[in-house]
Amino acid sequence: MTILGIESSCDDTSAAILKEGKILSNCIANQTIHELYGGVVPEVASRAHQINILPVVETALNQAGINKKDLDAIAFTRGPGLMGSLLVGVSFAKALALGLNIPLIEVNHMQAHVLAHFIDDPKPQLPFLCLTVSGGHTQIVLVKDYLEMQVIGQTLDDAAGEAFDKIGKLLNLGYPAGPIVDRLAKLGTPRFAFPEPQIAELDFSFSGLKTAVLYFLKDQIKQDEDFMKNNLNDVCASVQARIVSILMNKLKKAAEQTGIREVAIAGGVSANSALRQALHDTGEQLGWNTYIPAFQYCTDNAAMIAMAAYFKYQQGLFATQDVTPTARYTF
Amino acid sequence: MELMIQSLTDLDHAASQLLAFAGERRKFSLIGEMGAGKTTLIKSICQQLGVQEIATSPTFSIINEYVYIDVLGKQSTVYHIDLYRLHRIEEAVNIGIEDYLYGEHYCFIEWPQLIAPLLPPDLVQVEIKLLDNSHRKLIFL
Repeated sequence: MTILGIESSCDDTSAAILKEGKILSNCIANQTIHELYGGVVPEVASRAHQINILPVVETALNQAGINKKDLDAIAFTRGPGLMGSLLVGVSFAKALALGLNIPLIEVNHMQAHVLAHFIDDPKPQLPFLCLTVSGGHTQIVLVKDYLEMQVIGQTLDDAAGEAFDKIGKLLNLGYPAGPIVDRLAKLGTPRFAFPEPQIAELDFSFSGLKTAVLYFLKDQIKQDEDFMKNNLNDVCASVQARIVSILMNKLKKAAEQTGIREVAIAGGVSANSALRQALHDTGEQLGWNTYIPAFQYCTDNAAMIAMAAYFKYQQGLFATQDVTPTARYTF
Repeated sequence: MELMIQSLTDLDHAASQLLAFAGERRKFSLIGEMGAGKTTLIKSICQQLGVQEIATSPTFSIINEYVYIDVLGKQSTVYHIDLYRLHRIEEAVNIGIEDYLYGEHYCFIEWPQLIAPLLPPDLVQVEIKLLDNSHRKLIFL
């Protein structure tokens, strides 16, 4: 069984081929693909997906050595995401499925992030907990079965990745600043104590931390105009330590409440070195088995869409031609 | 109109004042530096309109939409838009920003400077100024 997966929910256009549960290719529209087709990489825009989608699908098929006539199903991200961006992927998938006369499979982008854990070994045992953490999302998901999941905690304001990026911006590091904060934090000491928000249950909040850093910097710069220059690494280390402790404290609480020791993280922020270390250390301390997918399956990608579709195909969960995208898509 | 804010309770009050001030107008621009509380204010407004979900930051998603039942019992939509990540006005146009700006629903736009030429004439302009010691000043135009 061979599935083409298509992802176009936000900035990136991606296509992937999965055969018998294995990913054969996972392409994201980038400079190399554009050079092949003589285009330029547009910025954030839904119309960019229209320019990207054909070359990215062709590249995914070519890299996998698969002819489109050999496809058994077309899978696509139905939501959540930006309506204009989703429309491109959904329309393309519908047209191709109709042309090839094969089934369509609609996928929830957030469920797909979780199911990225089943692309490569080691794979978590069911049930497991997954902290999905990215620029746009922060949630703890209780995964009871491949297609049976429940969000048990989520952010009430900013996502964790957004906190990294925006605080980095306050530190004049540009945007997005997550990876730069990570790098500078390694050179510093977390000696500034930023407050941990008091949020009930398993939910998160990062907006207060952003404001706390803003006021802290204003105060310090008033006293010493070179404060930023002389303390940047320590501020980065302190901010990173706090974001990671907010995430880990809730994850520990979720593990305690559910009694689950299979614990995974997904999403782009799982590339953060301090979060990876904290997951590893906490896992050793509390006897968890921990899981982090390869980075190419953590950021937005179509391989995870194809993987989610693989489970849906097995259960005969197909979409019809009248399916439409949905900007909000809870599960 | 100007309001001073010192707490989250003040913020809820300010949100209802803002809705009253706007009257029939449904498009709002919000200006204020990062961390000023633009999203927090919109979160409070959504709650007062009757949105059941918790409004979260649209910086990454660019547009978040929420549904609520209005005073006439009709299902209606609120769009929370954040143009922070966009660089060119064409990107906003390609997203279909004009459909949102000239539709019938509530629309709250953070970082609206990029689309200044597209904004409707009856726009409610909101500015949040950060003052010292956690005080904020809200200006409605």
